[in-house]
Amino acid sequence: MYDLSSVLETEAVSEVRPGTSILIAGPAMTGKESLAMEILAEGSRKGDGALVVSTSDSAETIVEDYRDRVAGVSNLQLGVVDCRAEGSGGGLADGDTPSGLYVHKVSSPGDLTGIGIGITKCLEALHGAGAEEGRMALISLSTMLTYTDRETVFKFCHVLSSRLDAAGYIGVFTIDSGAHDDQTLQVIKQAFDGLVDVRDADAGREARVMGLTDGPTDWQSL
Amino acid sequence: MTDSAAPVVLIVEDEPDVAETYNLWLADEYEVRIAGDGDEGLDKLDEEVDVVLLDRMMPGLSGDEVLERIRERELGCRVAMVTAVEPDFDILEMGFDAYLSKPIRSEELIETVEKLLERSTYDRLLQKYYALVEKQATLETAKSGAELAESDEYAQLQDRIAGLQEELSQTMGGVEDDADFITAIQQIGGSEDT
Repeated sequence: MYDLSSVLETEAVSEVRPGTSILIAGPAMTGKESLAMEILAEGSRKGDGALVVSTSDSAETIVEDYRDRVAGVSNLQLGVVDCRAEGSGGGLADGDTPSGLYVHKVSSPGDLTGIGIGITKCLEALHGAGAEEGRMALISLSTMLTYTDRETVFKFCHVLSSRLDAAGYIGVFTIDSGAHDDQTLQVIKQAFDGLVDVRDADAGREARVMGLTDGPTDWQSL
Repeated sequence: MTDSAAPVVLIVEDEPDVAETYNLWLADEYEVRIAGDGDEGLDKLDEEVDVVLLDRMMPGLSGDEVLERIRERELGCRVAMVTAVEPDFDILEMGFDAYLSKPIRSEELIETVEKLLERSTYDRLLQKYYALVEKQATLETAKSGAELAESDEYAQLQDRIAGLQEELSQTMGGVEDDADFITAIQQIGGSEDT
């Protein structure tokens, strides 16, 4: 079981089953990405594997930020699939990848097969390094939706969730709720086991969890 | 079993002994068609074929060329490429659904055919699931919560979605191992580069 209650501060997520996939939805600039990364970081501090699939940041940036976030963690096991449309293949610096770090580059956020291969290679490496448990973050589905249609993204999420389930990992996926119509959001939500809604309220950022317990939780500040 | 409901397997293999061996292993469970080269394989291919066992190295049309033409015809069949060496993931991008390295054992062959048939089921279920989810989303965005609560259509839809979810979770043909996962992703149309 995965305990996300220290990040989300609700008992609803204190025992998340391996294989669970969670959508983090909210308007732009509400800290979705940071929340996803913190869920991964919490795992890294306990020795879980971490896998980041990014459509916006370079592998180098992700690795640097992540190392800062989990400063002090020894034996960090981090996989990164960098899907920005810049070059493909290769490691962080031409095979000069430090131990515990697995980088795979994909030519475009629309190249789902390439992303799948990257995820597979990273999962293999993480497993090989002994990370039997782990957490994956995909940031963000909104970018993927600009490269391909929602049916394809929906199916991709479903297949990927099944793969994570087989690996015993959990997955968090972010989506910018302001960038898509209601129907698209409703469809995409259905590909996940649970939903974390985030919003900017007067008192600061808040989140609520749906789908992992019987009813939605109350809004909690982050 | 030779009734018409049996899945159809097409063997494309230039060595008659090898083709006959596969036939012996499969004939109990499947309707088997045999082609001695690529051209004959394409002739014997139609909508009824579920799985193609395609030898990669053949005189005349190569397995790769046959595969390309199969994909051009947009038939729903699954293709297992029979190769001399085990290919890397990257070769999976060529568009086949499984590979078998020679020499093939009977259990291995039967397992592969079963797995490909299961994956077809998975894709069909996923397609059906998506169609229902989209319908549900349309209703949810068009109607109020009170209207939905009273709608029989909506209640039925939710039941069917829950049922399909259950079926899908039991049909893991898409993702049992890494190669399956990649080909399952290709199947959903993610292989087109932008």
